[in-house]
Amino acid sequence: MSFLNNWWLIPLIITVFSGILCPAMGTVLITHRRLLQVNLISHCVLPGLALALALGIHPSIGGVISGLVGSIIAESLTNKKSENYEAVMNTILAGMLGFGVLLIPLLGIRIDLEAVLFGDLLTANLGDLLRTIIAFLTFILLVTFGYEKVVYVGLDPEGASASGINVSLLNLALSFTTALVIVSSMSAVGVILVIALLSTPTLLGLDKAQSLRIAMMRSSFFGLCISLLGFILSIIFNLSPGPAISVICVASLIIPKIGNKF
Amino acid sequence: MATLIAENLTYSYSKKSKPALNKVSVQINPGKLTALVGPNGAGKSTLLKLLQGQNNPDIGDITIDGESLVRTRSQIALMPQRSSMNWKFPITVEKLVSLGQIKYSKSKNTNPFQIKALLANPKSWVNKCCELEATMQRVGISNLANRRLDSLSGGQQQRALLAKTLMSPARILLLDEPCSALDPPAKDDFLKIVRQLADAGLALFISSHDWGSSLNSYDHVVVLDKTVLASGTPNSIQGKLDDLNISSLKENNSCD
Repeated sequence: MSFLNNWWLIPLIITVFSGILCPAMGTVLITHRRLLQVNLISHCVLPGLALALALGIHPSIGGVISGLVGSIIAESLTNKKSENYEAVMNTILAGMLGFGVLLIPLLGIRIDLEAVLFGDLLTANLGDLLRTIIAFLTFILLVTFGYEKVVYVGLDPEGASASGINVSLLNLALSFTTALVIVSSMSAVGVILVIALLSTPTLLGLDKAQSLRIAMMRSSFFGLCISLLGFILSIIFNLSPGPAISVICVASLIIPKIGNKF
Repeated sequence: MATLIAENLTYSYSKKSKPALNKVSVQINPGKLTALVGPNGAGKSTLLKLLQGQNNPDIGDITIDGESLVRTRSQIALMPQRSSMNWKFPITVEKLVSLGQIKYSKSKNTNPFQIKALLANPKSWVNKCCELEATMQRVGISNLANRRLDSLSGGQQQRALLAKTLMSPARILLLDEPCSALDPPAKDDFLKIVRQLADAGLALFISSHDWGSSLNSYDHVVVLDKTVLASGTPNSIQGKLDDLNISSLKENNSCD
């Protein structure tokens, strides 16, 4: 049992789960052309965190609700075909982040913004682990029972709608799961740097993949390798894990390209 | 066999906007290739979406063999425009085609037309055992089954999309600009395939920008610009065009 008392065990398990979960979720979002939503939701969680703390609710619940509300507002103000789609998304993103920053002094609460934005993996506790596992299970449920629908909507939204799939409901489920994944990854890499873990392994995993399922598995493998490497380097060199993982993400994109030139 | 009749369809995207379609009437007959031509913004895609039941007309009726579209929607399949597809999605041709079988709507159609039955015709050259394989053979992509969608040429992608549409139990196929972005040989190839489908009894309604000689490949042509400007055989349409003031239509399609 002494093994379980090791301080690095919970952070390591969270690293493994996040390393697998974020790239798999990122694969779905990139193939659905919804990566901008990650950016949006990751910035929209702050008002929810602040309000939840003020109301005495667990911050992660507020974060998920707030992220989801931001996503719904953005979707209701525009649609993907609109030329203003990106502008509206960025406006909501900036507005929600600003609202969150305003709320903190107004509500008289204290939030370690650095930990929220950039992660503090090595101090993660059992609650953080539980949150990560809940997000992991939610994602597994989504792809287990909705895989065909996820594929169809990502490939041909109009055709999927015509065949009876409720595209709006599926998009809402994706937004909800994305918000859960982002909030659960707060302790690992922080809400901002989670974008790197959602994107980079996916770019590596999508290459020549024959199906979404294979792409997700490959992305998760690359994500796990990157996360573990970041975790180990953080311990050895006493670095902050979030930024370390993000730097490795960038390096994993650049190094193969440099290698190909020689 | 199924005949689709649409009468006096009027549709606006919002209450404030002008009608995208105004009193449009068309008939799509089984065994016939019907072309729907018109300039950009003429309402071709809008009309196809109304006929497929994705949108409801403000005014007008759509029936198939006398029954309302609500009850017979499963008899219609729409092959979307290229631009609505995410061609970069990681999926094989075989998987794409199999998606055409998926129907989540609660259709009560008890006697759906089966493309399998059509393809099982002794004169045809397809495998009776496997509908998926047979459909891919029918459009000439069975050798591409395991290829990723984004590794195909434009013509091959369109054939894969047609195969997906054929996997539904529909008897009426609406194809939204299937020949756009195809080079002339690929376009001719595609038109041969759809002709074979029409000869086998399907009703095909194909929107097109092509105002040139390939119109002669169709049995019937409908010229649309918010409303039906002309309707008839390719020869009669060519004659009528000179009488109609639709020079902008010709200019619009000269680059195609």
